[in-house]
Amino acid sequence: MGKLRPVHFFEAAFWLLLSSFLYIESFDFDRSIEIYKFGATAWPRTLILLMALAALGQLLFQYYAGDRPTGSLGAATDDGAQEAARKAGHSSVSWYASTFLLLAIPFLYMRAPDLVGLATTLDKQGVHLVKGITAPILLVAYLVLMRGNHVGAILALPIFFAALLEDMGFYAMAPLFIIGVTLLMGERRLQWIALTIALIMGVLLLMFVSLLYVGLPTGNLSPFYEFSNQLIILLQ
Amino acid sequence: MDAYANFINGTITLFSDPMGILIFFGGVVGGMLFGAIPGVSMLTLAAILLPFTAHLSAEHGIMLFSVIYCTGVYGGAITAILFNIPGAPENAPTAFDGYAMTKNGEAGRAVGAAVMCSAIGGTVAAVIMMLATAPIANWAISAFGPPEIFALVFFGLAVAATVGAKTLWKGWLSILVGLLIAVVGMDPVGGIERYDFNMPYLLAGIHFIPTILGFFAVSEIFIQAEKKATGSFKAPKISVDFPSLAELLAHKVAVIRSIVIGFFCGVLPGIGATLAAFMGYNEAVRWSKDKSQFGKGKLEGVISSETANNAATGAAMIPLLALGLPGGALTAMMVGVFQMHDMEPGPLVFLNSPDLVWVVFAAMFFANLSILLVGYLETKTIINLLRIPFQFLAPLILLLATVGAYAVRGLVIDVLVMFIAGAAGFFLRRSGYSLAGIVLGLILGKIGEQTFAQAMQMLHFEWLGFLDRPIASVLIAAAFLTILSSIYSAFFKKHAQ
Repeated sequence: MGKLRPVHFFEAAFWLLLSSFLYIESFDFDRSIEIYKFGATAWPRTLILLMALAALGQLLFQYYAGDRPTGSLGAATDDGAQEAARKAGHSSVSWYASTFLLLAIPFLYMRAPDLVGLATTLDKQGVHLVKGITAPILLVAYLVLMRGNHVGAILALPIFFAALLEDMGFYAMAPLFIIGVTLLMGERRLQWIALTIALIMGVLLLMFVSLLYVGLPTGNLSPFYEFSNQLIILLQ
Repeated sequence: MDAYANFINGTITLFSDPMGILIFFGGVVGGMLFGAIPGVSMLTLAAILLPFTAHLSAEHGIMLFSVIYCTGVYGGAITAILFNIPGAPENAPTAFDGYAMTKNGEAGRAVGAAVMCSAIGGTVAAVIMMLATAPIANWAISAFGPPEIFALVFFGLAVAATVGAKTLWKGWLSILVGLLIAVVGMDPVGGIERYDFNMPYLLAGIHFIPTILGFFAVSEIFIQAEKKATGSFKAPKISVDFPSLAELLAHKVAVIRSIVIGFFCGVLPGIGATLAAFMGYNEAVRWSKDKSQFGKGKLEGVISSETANNAATGAAMIPLLALGLPGGALTAMMVGVFQMHDMEPGPLVFLNSPDLVWVVFAAMFFANLSILLVGYLETKTIINLLRIPFQFLAPLILLLATVGAYAVRGLVIDVLVMFIAGAAGFFLRRSGYSLAGIVLGLILGKIGEQTFAQAMQMLHFEWLGFLDRPIASVLIAAAFLTILSSIYSAFFKKHAQ
């Protein structure tokens, strides 16, 4: 086993599985090009092969040297991230499981109409209704799962925010997002959180909406859409 | 003498027009500010401004972008040094030592070195650019075909794999991930859709701006959040003690070497400032007597990469203006400005619009020079951003990044891609992979594949044809030598750690 640890096998397996998946998917576009005999697959398949070789090379290196960096430049990349994760026990299987559940929440929100659509046909209003019902349920699930996994919650929060942007818009969601991030970062003083919202929203809206006329997402669900448009009229 | 007279004419044209002056200073301050605000970059500003350049003259539009390019590359060093968030990929090597210096309480020295060296590198390169545009353009046209460009991309990636990641293998895996992300979308020869998973968004490929924002800005927030949650977050120490002139003079060899490297890399289309910075840094390590100090806060690391990337900005304008080939993201946006004015960059620009060319050259010269003064004053203000507690800075960075990602194409999915890249970057970074390597692979992937395909068609699919071309064969040999020596070094050399 040399200096190999289970995490090394997991890492190698990840890259080899990714290589296999990409290789299999490459058959979807395995078509010839008249003027180019290598076709559309030669380049990606070469990269996939090199990826598999690099993963095996890494495993071989880890067999001899464990986690030792290669050269002074390798050591230069150590920014304490690995150490922080190790100290906090954020490398355990349970932590990864809870984090991936948290990360799945935004994707569940986005796919909810499709999942409901398997059972019944949904019109535009139906899609909005499904999303309107799913959002609070998933929010509760998020709040339950985040207890004891603040880092996982911080990872999932921006993705959840992005997933909600299309429907609920930037203007309504951004203040809630600021509250979420500051709370997850450990801030509990309400007056400071309120001041942060006022300052950040003030700067962003003034700079991008009033001065540069950047059209930020307004959302398409009522009453978020109306709220966003009223705010834009006021600012411009 | 022609160049001198043209430069004077360009300067007079630039500063005799109030609108020109306004745009010039707007670009200088805007580039630095957006380069230096964590989470956004000069590319964000450029992307936001791109539609508005339709209302400017072609001269002003191109001049604005070239000024933003010069000062933005410098501005990106500030976030690399203070927050370990490179404003652009070309600032990534600056973070290796710059951020370590910040953690050691030497942020001021690192920023000061970046100010001085960016100004020196950029100004010298601007002078060389003015003197040598025509001969270099002629040489590049005749000497650099697709086989040479592919060979250079290959060499660049081989060099980049050795820096930035914890091990050589992780360096290569990072680059390969970037290259494979670049594969998504239409293939460059036949237009066949690849890895689109029936999603229309993926047909155009994954846009590099949300990806860069995600990998650099967002993942950094996540990493800092984890450190904060685990109690290992340490607020950077602040200082504004700039390095002395004598200290900088002691590194004159590194400055000159980086100017040469930066200019050489920058002049070649598709390579740009990123490779320049990596190579500048790599060569500094190679020639140093005390290699072990790199990555731990060595001033020479900052000097080498910052001189090289700003030297590349001047040089990158040559392929753009002479051949119509963009050297990077911002120069690619400049092609967009040209097109909005019904112009095509290329040799005809020199013939039809010499005024435009020389106003741009003069503006770039003065923009680099102004880094010294404006950069010094602005940095003194920006460095105070460090005093803001991280829990208040984090939502600001995340929301600025959101606006930046959304402003590029007006697509919410770009914001989603950015945050997914941020989460992926978080896991990759704490496993020792190189985010800069991924981004380099992403940027060079398309041009690498395209030039490879063109080269193979040119060489009638004869692999040995590369060996008939001296520049291509030297570059390919150098790439293989780099790969083999790094593998040998990884397995057989004893290391300090």
